Amino acid sequence: MMTNQNQMERYKLYQWIHMVSFAVNDITLYLDTHPEDQEAMEYFNHFKELRMQALNEYACQYGPLTIDTASPQGKWLWSTQPMPWEGGCF
Amino acid sequence: MQNCGCAQQNPMVQNCHQQYNLENMPLAMAYVPWQHFHQVYEPDKALSYGTIFPELNKPFLGKRGVLR
Repeated sequence: MMTNQNQMERYKLYQWIHMVSFAVNDITLYLDTHPEDQEAMEYFNHFKELRMQALNEYACQYGPLTIDTASPQGKWLWSTQPMPWEGGCF
Repeated sequence: MQNCGCAQQNPMVQNCHQQYNLENMPLAMAYVPWQHFHQVYEPDKALSYGTIFPELNKPFLGKRGVLR
């Protein structure tokens, strides 16, 4: 059973994924109109990296949130884990 | 139309036509100043504000049907 502490860890990581995903999304909109902006591109690379690390860490500990972080070993968690609307990720 | 009246609201601006070189611009057209990459919010604040750019953080402060 998930200890409360572990549940807290999972929730914090889940929130972090929201934050870095939002940052990547917002800078993408900026870069769409500023395709030469080096500083913005550095920002994008930095947060894209953070996002991939966070998604992979979440997938490794709790199961994949995105299909490209699914790495099935023996069981296809993608469809066997509870869906988000079934309380799968809070 | 030298005196466009904006000097009254903002004493620093002598005549906005000169400062923004609007003489040859067509009337009744909207202009969006170009955005530059300066400061950005930390990810947690950005998510709650809904933007990573402080200059785009424009919460609605009015109330329904009330002049602010």
